[in-house]
Amino acid sequence: MSEDSVAEIRDLRVEVGGRALVDGVSLRVPPGKVVALVGASGSGKTTTGLALLGEYPAGARVSGEVRRAPGAVGYVPQHPGAVLHPALRVGVLLRDIARAHGRDRDDLRQALADARLPEGEALLRRYPHQLSGGQQQRIVLAQALLPRPRVVVADEPTTGQDPETKRQIAERFAAVAARGIAVVLLSHDLDVVRALADEVLVMRAGRVVESGPAERLWRAPRHEWTRRLLDAEGVPPADGVGRGVGGVLPVGGGGVGRGVGGVLPVGGGGVGCGVGGVLPVDGGGVGCGAEGVPPVEGGGMGCGVDGIPPADGDGIGRPVLEVRDLTAVHGRTPVLRVPRLVLRAGECLAVVGRSGSGKTTLGRCLAGLHRHHDGTVLLDGVPLPRSLRHRDRERLAAVQYVFQDARAAFDEHRPVLDQVARTAVRLRGADAHAARAEALDTLARLGLTGDLPHRRPGALSGGELQRAALARALLARPRVLVCDEITSGLDTVTRRALLDLLAGLPADRPGLSLVLITHDPQTARLAQRTVVVEAGHVTERAPGPLTVCCEVGHKGSRVKSLEGSEAVVRRLGRHRRTRRCP
Amino acid sequence: MSRGRFVLGGLVVAVPLALALLGPLFAGPPGPRSVSFALGEGHWLGTDFVGRDVWRQVLLGGRTVVVTALAATALGYLVAVPVGLLAALTHARWLEELLMRPLDVLLAVPSLLLILLVAAAADPGPVGLALLVALVNVPDAARIVRAAAGEAASRPAVEALRMQGESWWRVAVSYVTRSALRTLAADAGIRLTGVLYLVSTAAFLGVGAAPDAADWAVMVDRNRTGLFVQPWAVVVPAVLIVGLTTGVNLLFDAALEKKGRARS
Repeated sequence: MSEDSVAEIRDLRVEVGGRALVDGVSLRVPPGKVVALVGASGSGKTTTGLALLGEYPAGARVSGEVRRAPGAVGYVPQHPGAVLHPALRVGVLLRDIARAHGRDRDDLRQALADARLPEGEALLRRYPHQLSGGQQQRIVLAQALLPRPRVVVADEPTTGQDPETKRQIAERFAAVAARGIAVVLLSHDLDVVRALADEVLVMRAGRVVESGPAERLWRAPRHEWTRRLLDAEGVPPADGVGRGVGGVLPVGGGGVGRGVGGVLPVGGGGVGCGVGGVLPVDGGGVGCGAEGVPPVEGGGMGCGVDGIPPADGDGIGRPVLEVRDLTAVHGRTPVLRVPRLVLRAGECLAVVGRSGSGKTTLGRCLAGLHRHHDGTVLLDGVPLPRSLRHRDRERLAAVQYVFQDARAAFDEHRPVLDQVARTAVRLRGADAHAARAEALDTLARLGLTGDLPHRRPGALSGGELQRAALARALLARPRVLVCDEITSGLDTVTRRALLDLLAGLPADRPGLSLVLITHDPQTARLAQRTVVVEAGHVTERAPGPLTVCCEVGHKGSRVKSLEGSEAVVRRLGRHRRTRRCP
Repeated sequence: MSRGRFVLGGLVVAVPLALALLGPLFAGPPGPRSVSFALGEGHWLGTDFVGRDVWRQVLLGGRTVVVTALAATALGYLVAVPVGLLAALTHARWLEELLMRPLDVLLAVPSLLLILLVAAAADPGPVGLALLVALVNVPDAARIVRAAAGEAASRPAVEALRMQGESWWRVAVSYVTRSALRTLAADAGIRLTGVLYLVSTAAFLGVGAAPDAADWAVMVDRNRTGLFVQPWAVVVPAVLIVGLTTGVNLLFDAALEKKGRARS
């Protein structure tokens, strides 16, 4: 091994059952540097990362060379909870590891400090389930750092985290690298890769398609796939926008009088947001307020920008769902207060906030999945039963919910098609044959064709399952669709595709109201109205794109270290100049 | 590997099962008694403590043990599965308490003691013994069902099924029970062993079977005294009981492994 690397892989090929998971991968990890492997899920990142630890899938045939400096390799898995013992206080395991490697209390304290756990000692007496995801991850990082490794492999450390937490995670690994420990980052989250990586390897289908220093790669990606990956993360490609706008324009055609308030050239600002367009915006709509027309960014992402369409024959614009004086509790602790919230037909509402702020609880209250609340949720002015067990068929169908973890939300024993079709059978009384046909049709329109629907969930990717979950909810012909973080945990290309689908929904289903629960600014941008949930309190902020601006602008000073977010701040800063942020 | 285990498990379980179920058909009439604990003399497994032919006793003695054990296990699950499922799926805390707490009390009573107590009051006979053994197995089994089903019931898949308007039965049977099946199958393998042990012990202590009955467990007990003179009268029935429990466990293991592989 060359002098200046702590781990090296040369020409690695891992084959399971005749299929190559990883083929011809070479990489070199210099001390104190961050090497990032990026790529969609299933591209072989984890297999490569685990190879550094000397771990391979069961029954794998391995060829090539893996060499590493003597000493341990630390590993921080994607789900840190999975490597903590649920019945042991976290400190017990940590001390056991310390003892096994002949480390004393001071080393333990040092490892905790390196993992940015200054309050560590108190946390050690807790059980894993009493820690937040971020705290669990830090404990696992401390475990990985205890044997004083030369390399730490981190698998998707930021998946499903809000921007603020992501920033902290990035900081944590930057600190690790600063101590001379090399970090191998496996991630599809380009923000964190941007913030951290010195060297980037782009993987696709088990091969490294491009590698190089991070700056060079961002500036001038050579491979087409890298460009797609970077594009998808930024601003929607033109065809997606076209679809979105096409869907929006006809709305309000039969409107009442004051339909089209103004004509707005869109798309001035953003980074490569090269789509101009003309967009009718409703002057007196709820979303936009009376002040005039919001600057629109990212083009007409479907339901995003059209403002609240004026009420027309379909009753678009009338309130569908109304929340009054809602206080939700977990046990006896109140976690969410919503004095009043109105959702109108055909509108798209984003619910944003940090993880743990109560935004998911809000969505679950609407859908009847969280029944521990007082207050009322009204559908068309009639109170909905709190628990979905007491909702009748129509009302169950009216408010549908798409779960964050699509894989966990499907029965792993039955083919996806059967499960999707059941919605039409149960909620709309369709006969089994018609339901299957309709399910196939809906799935096909969401991009699941061929034999994909006939497979079991285990044989589908995360993005495909999330589409199937969407189809399952849509088959109920809902009036309100609550989507809980459905884009988190997906790689950028898949996420982009799913967002395009969401953007196209209102055109497909006039009158459908969307509630997007998210901490992803890109997703929130689809909405024309945004509410922010902060520590259980809900505040409403005017038009969608601007809200993100205010939010990020507000937190701007703190998210600076993430280059990606900085770009957002810069981009939105321009909007702030265009129009004052309240 | 898995196929090998299937065959091995199948063979190991087939011999005692076939002997137990079909043996009485081939036992024939009782022959004349001869000397106790004799070897040879026309009895190819020797004679037992009262001079009966051991082979004939083996043929006759399996049915009570095996049928009682199988019936008791099946009966136990028949009660435990619905109770555990109901407790796992209900949101009403009082209902869960109502279902599970009385069972916890029963759990605290040593099972053999309970059987002996009842037997002291009245001879239960084979049917009564099966009921008793089933009863003492319900609390255990119900707790395991509730735990396994509770885990499955807390998954988003169940909420998604409810969101689709699926009925309680469908959620409970087609998803929750199916997800809990692996755990239940593993438990059933162990439980059958435990039940066999309990039934044999009870018979060994004279509950559910007469002291001179043709019964594998009773044979082990009664012929113990002659173990060093004529080992077959103890070894053969003991090996058959061990074979039955081991074989059942091997079969369950193989079935689970195959299922696990099919899934992955």
